[in-house]
Amino acid sequence: MTITRRDLLIGTAAIVTTASTGARAQPIQDVVIGVIYPFSGSSAQIGVDAKHAFNTAADIINNVYDLDLPLARSAGLPGLGGAKVRLVFADHQADPQKGRAEAERLITQEKVSAIIGTYQSAVAVTVSDTTERYQIPFLSADNSSPSLHRRGLKFYFRAGAHDEMFSAAMFDFFDALKKKGERIETLALFHEDTIFGTDSSNAQLKLAGERGYKVVANIKYHANSPSLTAEVQQLKAANADVLMPSSYTTDGILLVKTMGELGYKPKAMVAQDAGFAEKTLYDAVGDKLQGVISRGSFSLDLAAKRPMVGKVNDLFKAKSGKDFNDYSSRQFMGLIVLADAINRAKSTDGEKIRAALAATDMPGEQTIMPWKRVKFDENGQNNYADPVLLQWVGSKFVTIFPVQAAVAEAVWPMNKG
Amino acid sequence: MLSAETIVQSLASGLLMGLLYGLIAVGLALIFGLMDVVNFAHGEFLMTAMYATFGLAVLVGLDPLLSAPLVAAALFVFGALVYLGIVRFAMRAKKNIGMVQIFTTFGLAILMQGLAQFLFTPDYRSIANSWLGGKTLSVGDIFLPVPQLAGAVVSIATFGLLYFVINRTDFGRALEATREDAGAVALVGIDRNRVFAIGWGLGAALVGLAGAIMATFFYIYPDVGSSFALIAYVTVALGGFGSVFGAFAGGIIIGLVEAITAMILPPSLKSVGIYSVYLAVVFLRPRGLFGSI
Repeated sequence: MTITRRDLLIGTAAIVTTASTGARAQPIQDVVIGVIYPFSGSSAQIGVDAKHAFNTAADIINNVYDLDLPLARSAGLPGLGGAKVRLVFADHQADPQKGRAEAERLITQEKVSAIIGTYQSAVAVTVSDTTERYQIPFLSADNSSPSLHRRGLKFYFRAGAHDEMFSAAMFDFFDALKKKGERIETLALFHEDTIFGTDSSNAQLKLAGERGYKVVANIKYHANSPSLTAEVQQLKAANADVLMPSSYTTDGILLVKTMGELGYKPKAMVAQDAGFAEKTLYDAVGDKLQGVISRGSFSLDLAAKRPMVGKVNDLFKAKSGKDFNDYSSRQFMGLIVLADAINRAKSTDGEKIRAALAATDMPGEQTIMPWKRVKFDENGQNNYADPVLLQWVGSKFVTIFPVQAAVAEAVWPMNKG
Repeated sequence: MLSAETIVQSLASGLLMGLLYGLIAVGLALIFGLMDVVNFAHGEFLMTAMYATFGLAVLVGLDPLLSAPLVAAALFVFGALVYLGIVRFAMRAKKNIGMVQIFTTFGLAILMQGLAQFLFTPDYRSIANSWLGGKTLSVGDIFLPVPQLAGAVVSIATFGLLYFVINRTDFGRALEATREDAGAVALVGIDRNRVFAIGWGLGAALVGLAGAIMATFFYIYPDVGSSFALIAYVTVALGGFGSVFGAFAGGIIIGLVEAITAMILPPSLKSVGIYSVYLAVVFLRPRGLFGSI
């Protein structure tokens, strides 16, 4: 980005205004939070939905709502004299280098107190490196690669589950089905080639080894491929009992279309979320996906037990036209967790917010998630974020696992072989 | 692991994909051959055609097979307008003419992508029901997806027609003459600007045809052109810059090499094969297989 004369003028004017008002009345400063997402490029839709999720959260924080969520019943942050949360959005275009540059810009120019992001785990790596260097907290709202919290970062926090937790839930589910007499012996892994896909397949390979499942195909493909024909042929030849994709939306759509074209009907499909949590994928190829199972961290079925979930979902739906999904729900919750910590820190100083985040202990009932609680370990990971498995039945997701959250029995197998 | 069946299936899929790559790339080759301009907005032309096909399918209920000629015609007009309204002026640059052209078409690409995101949102679209979509022809154990099969037929027919137009018609001769010496043709009464405009129109119409077919089996979003455009550039460089039939051969070679690489190496490395062949050609025969420069 180049700075034009006009930018400079506006910037100067803004500084002069804040400086002069600041001298007069000591008004309450906004708390500025940087939001880094892909707003253009192949995953731009994620960013568009994320913006609605964050705006919904900011709305609840800044105004008075009768909801059992932290900061809902007060206007702004009481710990900072009712200061409002202001979001600054930045576009990383799914490019780790752009993510690094945007994080730097948010910190040095926009003076953000914390950053939240990023959808792609590969971008979370560079963004969290940058926030660590500037001693600013980074809240990883929806990244799921397990290696992210194992880099010894002090300012990295993740309220959601990571792919080892998610994959463990899948294998618990397989074990439970086997006990009931289903035959599940072979697995086929299909994953994209960035940190998300590789971390996910490594976790699954490890679990398969430990629990005695045979991996008959482990196919790594290049993200955003123009064609997946060769890959699908190998999956078809392997014809495993369960196909386990870790794919973003574009590749997910192409995978399902190509499977249809090559006449491959997997016996069962258990997806590592990502593309398989997105409404657009089901709009495009949902008819071929009856019975597909995806891991998730959110389930609208929870609204029956906890009416607040339905109310928050309605607020989000009014903005976005969509129900919360696994991603938008974690993005929403991420900002609430972050704002709650800033409120308790009573400061916008990076180190003080970090300390407040580390001291977070939020009961699950005060979230919209099926989590036990939000409490970070020494790596900044919340180990109480219980995942769920959802099955696509008709035209919606139904929670099928674990038993305490399930509202229906799983349909298994997806296609009779 | 590698049965005869898998090999035949891979080669067949590779051939179908390759014919389509050729059809996508030929417009680029045509424009380059005619006036030495690389159209960096080629992928966005493809994207526009896919959205047009999608729009006709959703709003009017027209099947992509029927809308393909309409989309091609619309893209013809669009391509000609891009030349007359933008590229013509870029070619008047006195200094650094190559750079000016690159920035012009590259800027156009960014503008088109931005406009598409603004107008159509970045959501992924796809045509749910079409005559071709989702159908498969099976020969023994070999599966041939009908949309790609149609793409291959259209591609072969188009190249046949192009061969005829370029070698047997007055327009084709005017095209060839303009490409040989754009200054001299003016002396024999050929309007250079007109030929260039038609060339751009034709180039855009060809990629429009490819886009209409692709809309039946690929997802559509503002950035869809970029992964195909990259392959189109390699196809054109491989076949020989400016050679229309080089694009045909280049497309087929790339499709087959991609399929064969994916059989031998892990699929995530399948583009390694394409770029290795490309590098070999650049080192051993820099003008490309059928290039004339």
